[in-house]
Amino acid sequence: MRGQKWGTKWRVWTVMSVIVIVAGVLIARLGQLQILDHQEYAAEARLSHVSEDILSGRRGALLDRNGYPLAGSQDSFDLMVETKAWSDAKSAAEAASALSPIAGVPAEQMVASVSGNSIYEVPVARGLSYDQAQAVRKLGLQGVRLMASSRRVYPEGNLGAQLLGFVGQDNSGLTGLESDLNDILGGAKGTLTYEKDGLGNQLAVGERQEVAAQPGANVVLTIDRYLQRLAETELDKTVEKTKATGGSVIVVQPKTGEILAMASRPTADVTKPDLSDDSKLALFRNRAVTDTYEPGSVFKLVTMACALDQGLVGPYTPWHDSGVFRADNWTIRNWDYSANGDQSVTQILSKSLNTGAAWLATLAGPDQFYSYVDRFGFGKSTGSGLGGEVTGQVHTPASDPGSWRSIDMATNSFGQGLSATPLQVLMSAAAIANDGVMMKPKVIKEIAYPGHIQTVAPEAAGQVIKPETARTLREMMGVVVDGISPTLLDVQGYKVGGKTGTANLTVDGGGYKPDAYISSFLGIAPLDDPVLAVLVKIDEPQGTPWGTVVAAPAFEHIVEAALPYLKIPPTETALVSEQR
Amino acid sequence: MATARRQQAAGTGMLRSPALPVVLILAACAIGVTALLPLIQSSTATSTAGDVRALEAEQTDQRARLRALELEIAQLGSLSRIEQEAAARFKMGPPQILNYIAVDAPAPEAGKIPSRYLAEEPQKHSDSPSLFEDIVDWMTP
Repeated sequence: MRGQKWGTKWRVWTVMSVIVIVAGVLIARLGQLQILDHQEYAAEARLSHVSEDILSGRRGALLDRNGYPLAGSQDSFDLMVETKAWSDAKSAAEAASALSPIAGVPAEQMVASVSGNSIYEVPVARGLSYDQAQAVRKLGLQGVRLMASSRRVYPEGNLGAQLLGFVGQDNSGLTGLESDLNDILGGAKGTLTYEKDGLGNQLAVGERQEVAAQPGANVVLTIDRYLQRLAETELDKTVEKTKATGGSVIVVQPKTGEILAMASRPTADVTKPDLSDDSKLALFRNRAVTDTYEPGSVFKLVTMACALDQGLVGPYTPWHDSGVFRADNWTIRNWDYSANGDQSVTQILSKSLNTGAAWLATLAGPDQFYSYVDRFGFGKSTGSGLGGEVTGQVHTPASDPGSWRSIDMATNSFGQGLSATPLQVLMSAAAIANDGVMMKPKVIKEIAYPGHIQTVAPEAAGQVIKPETARTLREMMGVVVDGISPTLLDVQGYKVGGKTGTANLTVDGGGYKPDAYISSFLGIAPLDDPVLAVLVKIDEPQGTPWGTVVAAPAFEHIVEAALPYLKIPPTETALVSEQR
Repeated sequence: MATARRQQAAGTGMLRSPALPVVLILAACAIGVTALLPLIQSSTATSTAGDVRALEAEQTDQRARLRALELEIAQLGSLSRIEQEAAARFKMGPPQILNYIAVDAPAPEAGKIPSRYLAEEPQKHSDSPSLFEDIVDWMTP
């Protein structure tokens, strides 16, 4: 009897113990779910009925100086699909088939991007237009929703491609001004948190918190779309005609430093960026500021400015050209190996005599010569603010005391043995055109923020030469143009000034590439009161390499169209019809 | 007897109190109406919120349409398109003869930047208080 009682008690205790243990396990599990892992499960539960969207502020537009949009943003929609909604292959295929013709994305591609994806929601198509979005809405598919986005549009096509740059999928600028001004154009992102229904649509009454995105500022550039197109058209024609590998054209206003046009070739297509390899990426480089070259004879303007400004010579100072100039046991000859006998200083420019330029630099001495090279902005940034701008290289007795020799200054005097960007070269002529005042080149005119406008005022870099020296130099530049055949350079109705340049092409590691040249023309117009300074630089033209033949005609075409466009009246004698 | 009491009460001008069931019915109706008020209010709020969201969505859509149209205008006015149209439709080309004519008048001013690209004025909110703010102010002097 006692043994039976003990057996019953034991069984009761066993059952009780099992119940207690099971209850304990359940309580522990409950504690884990409710207390320890609370955050995780709460977040998961919240995710199933609450969405958080990142709101992008409308990216500001890039406008030309007259308000024409060069780059703008179009509201668009990204097509988002919940991965759980497409977990069933059959229903996913049906939904994708319905969406495919609207979104223009193959159904298989849509399904593949969603299936096996561990994230909650996947974009299956981007940049849908308003009409496409409406068509998707009408389908009313479960787990499919549209997220507001924006798409960059370039109304003028590929105009100013390297200067403007392009944006990535996240709407951030990757190259050019799109990158340089990303913080200004991009605005500030916001968030929208809301409860949604089974279809992913926002509930009318439910939790909703919005931190509004701030729109980006519109940026008005100094670029003129007409002049930009003119520059690009003439550059393309010249590159094609001379079978050159590339080139650059820049147009600036000397009085303000405003860049009116800036183009380089080869170029890339910003409307369909191809970044498949490094060579394609290199096409987005703004070569007018990122690449340097030996400027060649156009640099004689700087040498001449140095000698004139110090009063060492005047335009009619006589000089004898024996055809050679010796420095450090090296012999310098003219480009055509000529010996011109008695010459005036003006003829050093008009005949582009290397020997004469070396003589002028020697007259000034290294200290003064390199002081003027520095004043004209060579070897330092122009302050344009353009991304990737380089400074070029100038070896001076101060920077390179161990290796600098007199022959270096002699070759520097006619633009060899130093490197500069096309923009630096152009700004030196712009200073001459602006009575010796060098302006900082600028590409931004105004920034229109929400609520206020910031105007970027012209900024002077300094008075590099005396006004009278600048005027003398302008007259000499006019003489240079007078000496060029009208078949190559004859601007109808206007008198212009300029200087040609034909330089050897340097190669990496030092030395020059055989039979490869850079032809250029650096000009100002009109000569008496310049409103334009233009550089045309052509890389490796085939056939005759002279700047007069290769680059001067492009300068003529640009100036001839640009001056009437800018409402600059022609000279009195041209106020009758001219026929070509 | 009862009739006599009623006549006496009427004679002294006293009002007879309503019967209890009537009071209860009135009270129930009052409670019912009061209970219905939040429901109506909630329903109205729901409906209004729905309308607001729908209007917001429409505003977003219309804005998207507007921006699309603005860019379409810009694309139609692009220089390359104008040149293409001029050459193809009107058979125009570069001039062979240039005639410069002096006119005794200043050149027209440069075009202004379209207002849509200028900075927007910050939205001004009404400074006048709402009805509820007035009530709260009245209640808390």
